[in-house]
Amino acid sequence: MIHPLKKLFVHTTITAFVFVGFTQSVQAAIVSTEQVVTAAAAEQNRAKVAATFERADVQAELQKMGVSTDEARARVAAMSDAEAASVANKIDSLPAGGDGIVGAIVFIFVLLLVTDILGLTKVFPFTRSMHR
Amino acid sequence: MRSRFSWSPGLVLILVLLTGCATQTKALLSAPHAALQRQVELKNTPFIAQERYQCGPAALAMLLRAAGFAVDADALVPQVYLPQRQGSLQVEMLAAARRNGALSMTIPPRLDALLTELAAGNPVLVLQNLSLPIKPMWHYAVAIGYDLDRGDIILRSGLTERMVMPMSTFEHTWGRSGFWGMVTLPPGRLPATAVEAAAVDAVVAFEKSSPPAAARQTYAIAVRRWPDNLALELGLGNTAYAAGDRAAAAQEFQRASELHPDSGAAFNNLAVALLELGQLEDARAAAEKALALGGPWRKAALDTLASIEIAEKSRRP
Repeated sequence: MIHPLKKLFVHTTITAFVFVGFTQSVQAAIVSTEQVVTAAAAEQNRAKVAATFERADVQAELQKMGVSTDEARARVAAMSDAEAASVANKIDSLPAGGDGIVGAIVFIFVLLLVTDILGLTKVFPFTRSMHR
Repeated sequence: MRSRFSWSPGLVLILVLLTGCATQTKALLSAPHAALQRQVELKNTPFIAQERYQCGPAALAMLLRAAGFAVDADALVPQVYLPQRQGSLQVEMLAAARRNGALSMTIPPRLDALLTELAAGNPVLVLQNLSLPIKPMWHYAVAIGYDLDRGDIILRSGLTERMVMPMSTFEHTWGRSGFWGMVTLPPGRLPATAVEAAAVDAVVAFEKSSPPAAARQTYAIAVRRWPDNLALELGLGNTAYAAGDRAAAAQEFQRASELHPDSGAAFNNLAVALLELGQLEDARAAAEKALALGGPWRKAALDTLASIEIAEKSRRP
């Protein structure tokens, strides 16, 4: 013979579990602005998968370029999907602003000197363009 | 008399380069936009001298400080600098600005757009190739002013606090990056030259990495500029919702659903906000409309409807 209190306890517990499970699976939720911007549903799923891979690629590439794991993760997180896609697999070749100009041979040195004076470039701090 | 001059490859190259003249500068100087001031210099833009290879962090710090964000160039180094490349990527400049609380956006790739932003009081961070494409020297600087009478651009650049560069030279060096320039703005402001599609992308990216209250301010101003844009209107509602303001959110979703009666997302979000406000009847009507519209938001509408049913049951005696 089951104790009536025990029976009540079991019943309420089961009801609670079912109810909690139920509400969790059908929780009403806002559609995010980002989802709205990415149009069709099928396209969206495909884009989401691609974006996840691209983000992982970018993070790995940043780490290869000397960025710490945590910082690489935070840097990728701040990019939009489109931004991450635009740099994935291209970090080697994209312009990186940093003033570096390496191993300029004499011909190029002279050429750049001339183009500086012509006002086409501004490599050397001492040159003045003849446009002045 | 014919000269015995022979065409060396170097000279040919120079001549080829010369023929590509600074067309935008010429056009601007000969017939400037009537609306543009003749001279602008944003003298309050702070100057931060760069360390070696670190023009990216220094330029970004100047730009963010001018927009009212107290950031340090040193703190930006781990956020944008790529040690192996000895430089910083454009995308990371945009992303890092958002990490520090600003809306960041590229400007249209034209000289007149740059001048328009300067005239509106927004310094512009530009990427220049100071050298030639064969031996690039990529450099970030901050444009802070111009002088149409003298034909100059004024920059905070590298170690030079006030670099005055002929506009034509600037056009050559800037053009090699595809005229890439960005501005950063505090919440509630948009660039003067913003176009709708680019603004939507920038504000949605800003929403993702900012507190809802900040993004809400920017959405509010964007909706005023482009009142027919569904994404912006929903963004205004979504950020109000995320900030806990259900009533304002419901109002924006209502407006979105009236302007865009075919948007399931607008009706679904309206239903969610109304449900949480306890207006179950209206919530049900909106959710059913979202379901009827179907499309990508069918699943969301079904879930919302189920939640409304639960709320209705618990309300009945």
